Amino acid sequence: MIEFDIPPFLIYYFGAALVPLLGRGKVRKIFLVALAVFGLVSVALIQPHTSWVIPTFPGVKQTLLHADRLSMIMGYIFALAGGGAIIYGLSTIKEAGQYVCGLLYMGSALGAVFAGDFFTLFIFLEIMSFSSLGLIWYERTKRSIDAGMRYILYHIFGGCLTLAGIIIHYSVSGGSIAVGPIEPGIGYFLLLAGIGVNAGFIPLHTWIPDAYPKATIGGTIFLSIFTTKTGIYMLARTFSGVEAVAYMGGVMALYGVIFAILQNDVRKLLSYHIVSQLGYMVAGVGMAGVGMGVMGLGLHTAATATATGTLVEKLALDGAIAHLFNNLLFKTTLFMCMGAIIYRTGKNNLTDMGGLARKMPITMITCVIAALSISGVVGFNGYISKGMIIHAAELKGMHIIALALMLASVGTLISFIKLTYFAFFAKNEHIEAKEAPLPMLVPMCITAFLCMAIGLYPKLLYTILPFRDAAFHYHAFAPGHTLGTMELVLMTLFLFFMLGYFAPHEKITLDFDHLYRKAGRRVIWFCEQPLMGFASAIDTKLKRIADSLVWFSRNPVGASLIQLTSTGMRLTKHLPLNLNHYHHPERVEQRAIEEPAERLTIGVGIAVLVVLLFFALYLIVMLIS
Amino acid sequence: MDKKVLRGLLIIIVCVVLVASAVSVFVLHSEHSELLEGFLYGAMGVGLFMITAKILSLIQKEGKQDD
Repeated sequence: MIEFDIPPFLIYYFGAALVPLLGRGKVRKIFLVALAVFGLVSVALIQPHTSWVIPTFPGVKQTLLHADRLSMIMGYIFALAGGGAIIYGLSTIKEAGQYVCGLLYMGSALGAVFAGDFFTLFIFLEIMSFSSLGLIWYERTKRSIDAGMRYILYHIFGGCLTLAGIIIHYSVSGGSIAVGPIEPGIGYFLLLAGIGVNAGFIPLHTWIPDAYPKATIGGTIFLSIFTTKTGIYMLARTFSGVEAVAYMGGVMALYGVIFAILQNDVRKLLSYHIVSQLGYMVAGVGMAGVGMGVMGLGLHTAATATATGTLVEKLALDGAIAHLFNNLLFKTTLFMCMGAIIYRTGKNNLTDMGGLARKMPITMITCVIAALSISGVVGFNGYISKGMIIHAAELKGMHIIALALMLASVGTLISFIKLTYFAFFAKNEHIEAKEAPLPMLVPMCITAFLCMAIGLYPKLLYTILPFRDAAFHYHAFAPGHTLGTMELVLMTLFLFFMLGYFAPHEKITLDFDHLYRKAGRRVIWFCEQPLMGFASAIDTKLKRIADSLVWFSRNPVGASLIQLTSTGMRLTKHLPLNLNHYHHPERVEQRAIEEPAERLTIGVGIAVLVVLLFFALYLIVMLIS
Repeated sequence: MDKKVLRGLLIIIVCVVLVASAVSVFVLHSEHSELLEGFLYGAMGVGLFMITAKILSLIQKEGKQDD
C-alpha cells in the first residue's frame, strides 16, 4: 500500500500560496478541485505512524505528523467536508484572498489534528483563529467587521487560557508535551476553559451565533466545519471521561436548541444548532473512559487493546466521534442549502422566505434530507450517532443526560420543521429565485447522499470509528428504539402544526453576549474616562517634574537661589516683617524664567573638583565592594 | 373569550401535559416499557419548548442582535 508521509497542512498551505497567482478563471477552479481531491487522497493514504519530529527549543521536540486512529478519522472528516466547502465556494467566492484564508484555515485544522504535541497544536489553533477571521471580514459590512473583532477577541482569550494551561502542564509534568490527559490543577482548568471556548461550552459559546451568520456565504461553510470540531477533538484527547464535561454536554444540547427555535435568521438558527449538536459530542466524550482519547498507533487491534474502558465507555466515545462525522455531513449540507437560498434570494430571515420548494427543488430535497438527519429520524445518519450517545448514557446510569439529549432531539425536530416549512413550503408569491448553480448543488447532493447512506447502512460508519467492537455491538434498529423514535417524530409533527406556536417572528432573543457587550462597554468607558484621566494627570505631573529638572540643571546654583528666595518670600509673606522690598515677587518670577537659562560658567578648578569627586566616589565604591 | 384568558388556558394546558408526560415517562422508564415512550417524550418536549419560548419572550426585543 502506498504510504504518504507529508503533513496534510503543507498541501493546503502550498495551495493557499498558489491561489493568488492563478487569476479568477477556469485555471483557478480546476486547481481548487484538484487540490480538494488531492488533499482527500493524501489524508486517506496516511498510515498510523509518527514522523516530522523537529527539535525547536532545548528539550522541546515538536511533532508535526502523529497519525493514530482518532487523528486519522478527524483527518478524513476534515478533508472530505473541507473539499466540499472548496467546491461549493467556486461560484460564490470571487476573491483569491478568501480562498487563501479558507485554505490556511483548513490546513491548520488538519495540522492541529495531526499534531503530536501541545505546542504544535496551539500554534495551529492560533493560525486557524486568524485565518478564519478573514472569512468573516471579507463580507465587508460593519456588522461583519464588528463580529469579526469580537470573534478574534474571544479566540485570543481562549488561546491565552490554552497556552497558560499548556505551560503549567509542561512545567508540572517535567517537560511532557504529548497531547493527552493532564494532571488536575490550575493548568487543568485553564486548558479546559481554553478548549471550552473552541468547543462552545456555555457560556463561552456566543461567538458561534454571533460570527458565523455574518461571514461570507462560502466562509460560513468553512467556519462551520473546523474550529468547533477541533475543540471536540482536543476535548476527546485530554478530557475524556470527565463527568462534569458530560453534564456540560447535556446543558449545551438543550440550551442551543432552545435558542435555535427562537431564531429568525436562518444562519443564526443553524449556528445555535452547532452549539446543540456539539452538546451531544461533549456528552459522549464526558461519558467515555479516562484517557480513552489517546489511541495506540495500530489500525484496529492495538487501538482496541490499549483502551482500558468498558464497552459502554467505548460506545460513548464512538458515539461522539460518529456524531462529529455525521454532524459535519448534515450541518454542512444545511449551511450550503441556506447559503444557496441567500445567494439566490438575498434574504436571510425566515419571515422573508417561503415558496421556494418549486423554485429550488434540489436544494429543498437536500435540505429536507439534512433536516431529517439532524433531527435523528429513522433511516438518516443522525439517528445512528444520537442513538449511540443516548444509549450509552442510559447504560451508564446517567438518566438526566439521556433525558436532556432526548428532549434536545424534540427541539431539533421543531426547529427544523420550522426551517424547512417556512423556507420552502409556506406561501410567498412575491419571492423570486432559481435553482442554485451546479458547483453549489454537487457538494450538497454528495453530503445529503452520505447522510442517507450512513443512516440506512450504519456499518459504513462503524468501520472507521475508534472502537469497532463496541460500535458493532450497538443495534441501531432495535425495535423499541426505532418505534420510540418514530412516535416522537409523529407527536412533535402533530403538535407543531396543531399548536402553530413556533412561527418565526422578527424579534431577537438576548443571549450571554448581551451581558458581555454591556460589560465590554463599561470597560471601554472605564478605560476612556477615569483611567485615561488618571493617566493624563500623571503625564502632566511627570512633564512638570521633567521641566523643573531641565530648568534646574541649566543653572543649579542660580535655580537654588531663586527657589530659596521664593520659598523665603512665601514663608515671610504673612509675617509682620517686610522683606519684600528686597525681593519683589514679580522680579523673582522674571528671574525664574530668565536666569537659569544663563549657563553657569564652570571654571577649570570646578571641573577638576567634579572629576576628583567622581574619582573619590569610585574609590569608595571599589573599596566597599 | 378574551385573548389573555385563552393564552393563560393554553399555558395551563401545556403545563399539565408537561407534568403528566414527565411523570409518565419516569414511571414507564422505570418499568422498561418503550411502547408509548416516544409519544410522551414528544409531548413533553413540545411542552417544554413552548414554556421556555414563552419565558424567553420576556427578554426578546425588536431589532438586530448587534444594536
